Amino acid sequence: MLQRWFATSPQLDAAQSAQLALWQALPEADRSAAYDQTRYVVVDVETTGLNLMTDTLISIGAVGVVNSRIVMADSFSVVLQQRESSGRNNILLHGISGSAQRAGEQPADALLAFLAFIGKDPLVAFHVTFDETMIRRAMRQYLGVSFKHPWLDLAYVIPSLFTGLMHTHRVLDDWTAHFDIANFARHNATADALATAQLLLIAMAEARKSDAANFDGLRSLERSYRYASGKT
Amino acid sequence: MSAIHVTQLTFFTLHAPFDRMERAHQMWLLEHLRLAYYAKGEKLAEPSQGVADRFFIIKQGLVQGERQGSAGDAVVELHVGESFPVGALLARRAVSSAYRAVEDVFSFELSAEDFHTLLDMSLVFKDFCTRRIAALFDQSNQVIQAQYAQAANEHQSLSSPLSDVIRRTPVSCAPDTSLQDALTLMRDGHVGSMVVVDTANKPVGIFTLKDLLGRVVLPGLSTARPISEVMTPEPLSLPPGALAYEAAMAMARAGFHHVLVTGSDGALQGILSERDLFALQRVGLRQISMALRRAESVDALALLGKEIRSLTHNMMAQGVAAEQLTLFISTLNDLLSARLIELECRASGLIGTEIYEGMCWLVMGSGGRFEQTLYTDQDNALIFAVPDGMTADEVRMQLLPVALRVNQAMARCGFPLCTGNIMASNPQWCLSLEEWQNVFARWVDQGSPEALLRASIFFDFRALAGQRRMAESLRNWLSQYARDNTRFLHQMAANAIRNRPPLGMVRDFVLNDANRLDLKFNGLTPFVDAARIFSLAAGVTHTSTIQRLRLSAESLHIPSVEVEAWINALLFIQMLRLRHHYEVSVHQTDAGSGELDNLIEPALLNELDRRILKEAFRQARKVQARLTLDYQL
Repeated sequence: MLQRWFATSPQLDAAQSAQLALWQALPEADRSAAYDQTRYVVVDVETTGLNLMTDTLISIGAVGVVNSRIVMADSFSVVLQQRESSGRNNILLHGISGSAQRAGEQPADALLAFLAFIGKDPLVAFHVTFDETMIRRAMRQYLGVSFKHPWLDLAYVIPSLFTGLMHTHRVLDDWTAHFDIANFARHNATADALATAQLLLIAMAEARKSDAANFDGLRSLERSYRYASGKT
Repeated sequence: MSAIHVTQLTFFTLHAPFDRMERAHQMWLLEHLRLAYYAKGEKLAEPSQGVADRFFIIKQGLVQGERQGSAGDAVVELHVGESFPVGALLARRAVSSAYRAVEDVFSFELSAEDFHTLLDMSLVFKDFCTRRIAALFDQSNQVIQAQYAQAANEHQSLSSPLSDVIRRTPVSCAPDTSLQDALTLMRDGHVGSMVVVDTANKPVGIFTLKDLLGRVVLPGLSTARPISEVMTPEPLSLPPGALAYEAAMAMARAGFHHVLVTGSDGALQGILSERDLFALQRVGLRQISMALRRAESVDALALLGKEIRSLTHNMMAQGVAAEQLTLFISTLNDLLSARLIELECRASGLIGTEIYEGMCWLVMGSGGRFEQTLYTDQDNALIFAVPDGMTADEVRMQLLPVALRVNQAMARCGFPLCTGNIMASNPQWCLSLEEWQNVFARWVDQGSPEALLRASIFFDFRALAGQRRMAESLRNWLSQYARDNTRFLHQMAANAIRNRPPLGMVRDFVLNDANRLDLKFNGLTPFVDAARIFSLAAGVTHTSTIQRLRLSAESLHIPSVEVEAWINALLFIQMLRLRHHYEVSVHQTDAGSGELDNLIEPALLNELDRRILKEAFRQARKVQARLTLDYQL
């Protein structure tokens, strides 16, 4: 455990360093831009397990939502090469076989590709803590950066918009079932990201009614719900 | 290449026309789509937005299109997998309807520019967009063919193995047999071909009667010569497992008229002539019509009636279109009925009398319109000339018993008696030309609901047997009389548009209590009624609905594209109806034991057929809109 905290910075080659620098130099996103003039990236990750401290990132799926439309071509998927593949039960869940895991991208390249895909655009997930922690840890380990990025958590935004359903609907599957969102491949990071992106479209349409017409508007919905439910 | 496709491609493999597009084009489409969400009540597109800028494919939810300025009537419902607006995008104009989300909707969107690129790229897509209903119709027909192909294989067909097809044992002889002996064997065996085999019964040659002239008679060869000198060596042979159509192709390729069937040891098992194959191919259409003409008893005709039905099924299996199929059924049913009338007239001693020379058997209703299905009940009547020195009543008294015999015999042949007693044996419908004119004139002048109902059955009359000129006189008279009476046509039109095609407001169709839909009443009748009115207005004397529509269109200035769309819709409904009848009848132990209903459950149709049916009903509405316009209703 400890060596993870005190590990030396990872060695990036020149091209990798240049890529990273390029991303770092990008201007920050305008969080007050209206939905139809902005891009969000909806993210979902698959991991070796649910433990935030010991499990590791296997794959990242992401979908771009541009001007409040999911752009089918604007999607991203990467499998990170693992030193050893994850356990059997876990493989059954996400469906990425041991050999596929070992054949994945070098983690540093995979993460750089992810950064290039997202740019500085705000990220969206359902239960951000999990996705964000997994990605941050991988970023620190393989790229030596502290990944601080604006995130929006639909797990709080959606119930704040549909308060009548908040007690009966908790996990992603509850909400996708409620809105009848089909997911042909649950626990495939890209497919889950797409389902989550559809939830984001619903949230945007609903939030527009209450004048929450931009990222900050959605963030304040999220915060007020966290506050109200005591989950700060 | 983006990452999302794999999971989303499934959607496009489920819905026409995307399911038929090449994989590369499906991928291209996916790459260019955006997915949008519209909350219940939001508008996806409306005329005021200007030139249509995107193509929508509904991924989830229900969209309703409503034509602006018209009543809640011109509503279309669009479901998962359906797409719009095609017309506006093709013409680069604004949409003519407002499209609103009735439920929460997720819709894929393709920009107008990409829409046109895809149109150029994919023939399937282009076909769908430019021909719409016709293209869907083709696709549905292919599905029907595939479904029935299985059943058809159980009958003898070109896809049967040769072992099932060969019947007679081949006549064979050794190579050294004299021509004299070989020809004697052929004559005794009543065969046109002789297979020459070696001691192991392996074919080494074939000799046919066709060869006799060129190889024996004209060269003046002695019939004492051995057959091996004139036979065709190395005859064409196929294994017993080969299919009949392979034999047909082999013959066509080699120019031979025979093919031999040999076992794995090379020994002769059978012989097949071109004619044998031909018989398979034409499942006896000629034979049945010949047999109908020659049948000598009602029992024989009843048996043939059953054969007509099985033949019809075979034709459905071969993918014969509804138009030809119904024409085919009508033709054979006509032959059967005509022969039956002839037999009964002869048995009653009517033939040769003056009355027989002036009578004509009429068929009306669906029979009159050539729209018979497998089990159509009788709608018939008689028209007769009154010979000098007789009264109409006297003629009637002589004809009625004969008509009764015919009606009963028809019932035995699978045409149920008419429950409304619209039959020639009813004195009310056994009339002289003059009496018919009086009856028809009364209906036209009165225009009462009952008169309109009668007219909708009787005005579709045509001659079936006897003196056609009698029917023609009545037709010509009616054509003139009705055309001049615009009030009557107006009343008929008003009556016709009361039967609204049951398009739903929330789901596709308005159904009865049992969730069913009457294909005849709800589907066909609007077209049939309109066609009758058009034909009366245009003076068209044809009684087939399709011909009425086509022939009236010109003089009524209805664009032919419009008419062809109506006809396609009509034919599709008719095909569904035939299929339904067939499916019900195979479950009935006693074929023809009862009248078949026309009720189908739309929920049991496949998605494609449901969509076409919906489109067909929309066409029915268009026909009615035309009536409304023409008669200012």
